[in-house]
Amino acid sequence: MTPALSVTARRAGGWRLALVLALAVAVGLPALTNTYYVRLATGILMFAALACGWNLIGGYAGYPDFGAAAFLGIGAYTTGVLMARAAVPFPLALLAGGAVLLRLRGHYFAIATLGFMLVLQQLAANLELTGGGSGMNLPVARSFTTFYYWMLGVCALAVAAGLSLPRLRVGYAIAAIRENQAAAEALGIAPLPYKIVAYSGSAFVFGLVGGVYAYWFTFIDPPTVFNVDFAIQAIVMTLFGGPATALGPVAGAIVLKSLDTVLTNVSIFLHNVFFGALVCLLVVFAPRGLADLRRARGGILAALRATLRENRI
Amino acid sequence: MRPQLEVQNVDAGYGAVQVLWDVSLEVGAGEAVALIGANGAGKSTLLRVISGLLRPERGRVAFQQRDVTGLPPERLVHLGIAHVPQGRRLFSDLSVRENLLLGAWARRERAAIAADLEHMLDLFPALADRLALPARQLSGGEQQMAAVARALMARPRLLLIDEPSLGLAPLAVRALMEVVVRLRREGVSILLVEQDVTVALGHADRGYVLETGRIVLADRAAVLLENPQVRRVYLGLTATS
Repeated sequence: MTPALSVTARRAGGWRLALVLALAVAVGLPALTNTYYVRLATGILMFAALACGWNLIGGYAGYPDFGAAAFLGIGAYTTGVLMARAAVPFPLALLAGGAVLLRLRGHYFAIATLGFMLVLQQLAANLELTGGGSGMNLPVARSFTTFYYWMLGVCALAVAAGLSLPRLRVGYAIAAIRENQAAAEALGIAPLPYKIVAYSGSAFVFGLVGGVYAYWFTFIDPPTVFNVDFAIQAIVMTLFGGPATALGPVAGAIVLKSLDTVLTNVSIFLHNVFFGALVCLLVVFAPRGLADLRRARGGILAALRATLRENRI
Repeated sequence: MRPQLEVQNVDAGYGAVQVLWDVSLEVGAGEAVALIGANGAGKSTLLRVISGLLRPERGRVAFQQRDVTGLPPERLVHLGIAHVPQGRRLFSDLSVRENLLLGAWARRERAAIAADLEHMLDLFPALADRLALPARQLSGGEQQMAAVARALMARPRLLLIDEPSLGLAPLAVRALMEVVVRLRREGVSILLVEQDVTVALGHADRGYVLETGRIVLADRAAVLLENPQVRRVYLGLTATS
């Protein structure tokens, strides 16, 4: 089969060089700047990874998963419990978190996922193992740069998943199910196994990020890690950059997280207004993300004008 | 010779609503059979039962002498039953080529799949320069051709087509029916659901009339076309003397 399920995949040839360059810059970044920017970049990478992870289920498979943070929480607590209670080395604890998540695969889709996350939040708040509502402390790491590289690794993994998915047989099935599940079934594609693949892929990325996050912040409690905000930010960034594209979510994370940082420095109030307004604008003008506007005939301005006409604004 | 497809005494429905009542039907090898009836008579439901999308509550479906009642659609596609659903249902953001290749999902032999893609372009020349376009950019007639071609990519022995003429220009309908005739010559059995009775019976060997979930008439297509009841109800004609 000639794989070309997304625009990104089709143009990937020319992008390969750019990707390698970007990766080289990312690897060298900590040597070039000070701690503040490394910390900022770590945050961006974290959200880029989350957005790419969410894109697997929300973008490629088309299932809006609002409870994705459940897996971030599970990853964070698995790492936390293993490191603080059992003194397991960090990489091993992180891996265990991922393994636990892959066993947790299932069909908790869409809104049900939000409930799932809240249940887990309550669970973490009431278990002795997790330190209950007062949270738990993890050992402090020696260097912050380590987390930058961990996040970079997780992010690269998530991007690689997004890049390879449209070239795989699984990716074909997932695209068909997204486009029209009834027709996919009529062709003999059983939807459930493929949805599970997309969902566990997404959950796995969230779990890994959660694990790194826990060690990075050295303190976790239920409301911080089982936080719907992680899912919402990942959703907004994915929609902004372009769902079902490999690099759209990364672009979304870079642009929005940078803007977010600048605006938070100006005024916390303004930053909330900005994100609210952005979500509204996205839904009206670019429901399929910036990538789609760019693809539109006659450029972005023509596309915007057409949308204005359609919506009678 | 035993028929390719046998449907025996099938009851089926959705939840508490029963749609099909004791339906029996046969399609022979290389035979084209038309299933006609008004809106809501249960034609699409019967196709869904045959292709495994809906499990019958009672009765039996046999394909090539083998009981296939209740098998999931992916098994039936493997066995050689392909379904062109009503409203075409293409994957609208995927290209025509991707749509066609997805039709061959159940098959693994790459060379044969590539050859069949060529064969489809031979059957439907209009699709040849549309291969790279997203399916949503095709005209209604082209979309219907793509939907039929997608189903044929599975190399079916039995093709179920649901309302192919819906919303199509007469010229497109004729082009499509020519393909149906050609497929039959290639030995594919066809079960055609169609509201346009003249089109359906004009291209079929035999026909069944479904009314509120029951088969009320079954005969050779030419005979049904002359049947006064069919002429009055489905063709809007008064019985000719």
